Amino acid sequence: MARVAVKIPDLGNEVTEAQIDSWLKSPGDMISQGEEIVAITTPKVTVELEAPASGRIVDILVEPDEIVAVGTILAIIET
Amino acid sequence: MPKSINVDPGRTRLPDHLELPDIPVHRYDTPFAEELESHGRRSLVELLRHMMILRSFESGLAALKSTGKFGHLEYIYKGPAHLSIGQEAAAVGAALALTPNDHIFGSHRSHGEFLAKGLRAIAVMDEADLTAIMEEHDDGKLRDAVTARLDCRGVRDKAERFLLLGFLAEIFMRSNGFNGGMGGSMHAFFLPFGAYPNNAIVGASAGIATGAALQMKVERRKTIAVAMLGDGATGCGPVWEAMNFAAMAQFDQLWDEKGGLPVLFFFTNNFYAMGGQTSGETMAWDRLSQIGAGLRRDACHAETVDGTNPLAVADAVARKRSLLMAQRGPALLDVECYRYSGHSTTDVNAYRTKEEIALWRLVDPIQQMQARLTRAGVLSTEQATEMQAGIEKLMHGVFHAAADPDVCPRVDPASIGQKMFSDLKSPYTGTLPRPLREPESVPRLRQTAKKTRRGRTASGEPLSPMRAMTLRDGLFESVLHHVLNDRRVILYGEECREWGGAFGVYRGLSDLLPHDRLFNAPISEAAIVATAVGAAIEGGRPIIELMYADFIGRAGDEIFNQLAKWQAMSNGHLSLPVVLRTSVGSKYGAQHSQDWTGLAMHIPGLKVIYPATPYDAKGLLSAAIACDDPVLVFESQRLYDKTELFADSVPEGDYQLPIGVPDIKRAGEDVTVLTIGPSLYPALDAAETLSQQGISIEIIDARSLVPFAYDSVLESVAKTGRFLVVTEACERGSAAMTLTSNVAHLAFTQLKSPPRLLGSPNWIVPGADMEEAYFPQAADIVRMVSEMMANAGGHRRDSERLRLARCGL
Repeated sequence: MARVAVKIPDLGNEVTEAQIDSWLKSPGDMISQGEEIVAITTPKVTVELEAPASGRIVDILVEPDEIVAVGTILAIIET
Repeated sequence: MPKSINVDPGRTRLPDHLELPDIPVHRYDTPFAEELESHGRRSLVELLRHMMILRSFESGLAALKSTGKFGHLEYIYKGPAHLSIGQEAAAVGAALALTPNDHIFGSHRSHGEFLAKGLRAIAVMDEADLTAIMEEHDDGKLRDAVTARLDCRGVRDKAERFLLLGFLAEIFMRSNGFNGGMGGSMHAFFLPFGAYPNNAIVGASAGIATGAALQMKVERRKTIAVAMLGDGATGCGPVWEAMNFAAMAQFDQLWDEKGGLPVLFFFTNNFYAMGGQTSGETMAWDRLSQIGAGLRRDACHAETVDGTNPLAVADAVARKRSLLMAQRGPALLDVECYRYSGHSTTDVNAYRTKEEIALWRLVDPIQQMQARLTRAGVLSTEQATEMQAGIEKLMHGVFHAAADPDVCPRVDPASIGQKMFSDLKSPYTGTLPRPLREPESVPRLRQTAKKTRRGRTASGEPLSPMRAMTLRDGLFESVLHHVLNDRRVILYGEECREWGGAFGVYRGLSDLLPHDRLFNAPISEAAIVATAVGAAIEGGRPIIELMYADFIGRAGDEIFNQLAKWQAMSNGHLSLPVVLRTSVGSKYGAQHSQDWTGLAMHIPGLKVIYPATPYDAKGLLSAAIACDDPVLVFESQRLYDKTELFADSVPEGDYQLPIGVPDIKRAGEDVTVLTIGPSLYPALDAAETLSQQGISIEIIDARSLVPFAYDSVLESVAKTGRFLVVTEACERGSAAMTLTSNVAHLAFTQLKSPPRLLGSPNWIVPGADMEEAYFPQAADIVRMVSEMMANAGGHRRDSERLRLARCGL
């Protein structure tokens, strides 16, 4: 069993922060790799981040509407 | 890119074959007796009479042009005369099948189409309406000229003379011509009869008529637009763009109101594109109608019809009109006919034989029609001769009147400047459009609502674009206000809907607006701009987006010849409230990073703005959308995320800033630095550095380029005595050059040193890593200001600049 972090990815060299729009999954949900898990917004676009691994969401660390830096861990998936 | 349309390789990769529909060629075979029965004897005699009028009118013009005489009239007409003698049946036949509320958009060779449409409208409109039209047009001046000089028996008779004199006066470019003498032979139009602008640019009417049809569809009018084109126009890219735009699948698949645009592409095919032979030489098609099959599965209902027979043409146009009314547009007609006259009066028929011309004279449309009527016992030869003689007499009267400056006064050239811009606003008074959902529920709006409207922290630090209003948000709020409060405003461009435009300005609007108010256009910059011109002519207020300013080249004619010129060429009868937004890029090299404000500024007829702050962007864009003149909005991609560093905050409600008024962004004493667009920011950095050296610069943000009030700049120069313009455009021929030249002229005696310009080199824009060496940086501004300060007493010869100029750099 491993813990995989869901992070704000690098979204281009001018984007340093993003806002959490909404969580599409809840703690405890089973998810498959590639499933959309959270919607985030940058000044230019809204994107849905996909689960980097299959497993169970054990922790959600950032609330909707929070603005966080690129690289911030948003959630933990236990595989 | 709507996610509702799934591209399934399992389906797209299946073996299949394509079947194209039957394209009828010369299938008209209605017996003349049936036509007499359905149209009535009188209507068909009128058809002949209208063709005779067209020919008589153009024959008069041909005589004037080639000999300087027409009957007893001696007059030198210097303008163009692209005649359509021989093609009368195409024009008159089409007009028979159209209503006055259907709009035709013609070509450079559209005298016949214009007259035919007008004559038909006069034949079917109420006399009271005709009287009112003549009364209202130009305060009755043209009507008075008609009454004074021409015998009229009744209202329709007077209206026909009004049509002929208004048109000929326009061709002679007289002040009481239909367009006040601003249009002339190739641009004449008269809206009340449904004769919309003709166009001197081959094929340009295709996109404009398509835009007119777009507006008709959006308003759900029961009318059609007709693009009157020549066969040569099938060689023009923008015509193909327009036909594709009109036939876009989204109209059937995604729009609430289904169906392609109600536009008929009517190709008057006379087999020659000036001297190039279309079928057989310059085009790939052998029958023009086959191009319909290249556009759509239904081949746009294309047909080839006999353009020497007005009844065959009327039959085809009526059938196509029914299809358009049934929301099955667009449609395409190849109307084969022949012009006996040359392309223009300098044409000596080097490209065709006398024998060929003689063959076509055997199927002359007027003689054939007259023979049909005579055979059917409707019109005797004597009656036809008498009719012709009456027309000749009338035409001499019209020509004498038009040539007489007492009847048709010449234009005062000094008045032309007043026609370039209306400077009017036409507030919306209709019912408010209903958004698809409550704006407050749209995520983009909720996010923006949480942002601070200030751009700095309490300690003065700039805030992040996630936390404070950005220039992008300012543009968004302005657009949002107008789309929610004005049904006439529609938005389109490449990936404008789901993506929100390539730079996300419209992100979130697809939650609020149906497809007929926000849609993705094809990669067809020419069609995007041309359709906006057409939609605006029909009363719409399109906001269009070109992804990069570099793509202006793809819409050169549409921006520079159509958007810029129609207000003046129409003598103010048309207004073009089009906002064209375009971004100025960087990082992507030579074809994606150019500031072309200089091009836009050079062409008379366009207002040009280039805001650099969120506050200015919101207020100036709102002014642009509200104003009735066409406005080009340049937006720097580097500034979309800029927060407000100057105004206290960006107001939440809508507000307008005056277009044409530069703004002092930082006060100073020693040098006036006028910045264009993003150059504001390096100038600010430079100001900091210079202040440490004891030099204080006054920074003025141009904000607009056309119009431009020099007052605050001149006041500043009177104080500083030194003037520098900074631009990211390459210097030669730039907007900055014009500003520099005018300041040198207006403030010469106040200048302590020569006015300077700091722009980019006259090179291609290099790649991202080399941009700092290309675009003026703060250090460059510091250096130039220091030079100007050191050079207070005189001026040395700039040998490097001389060398560069000699090299073309």
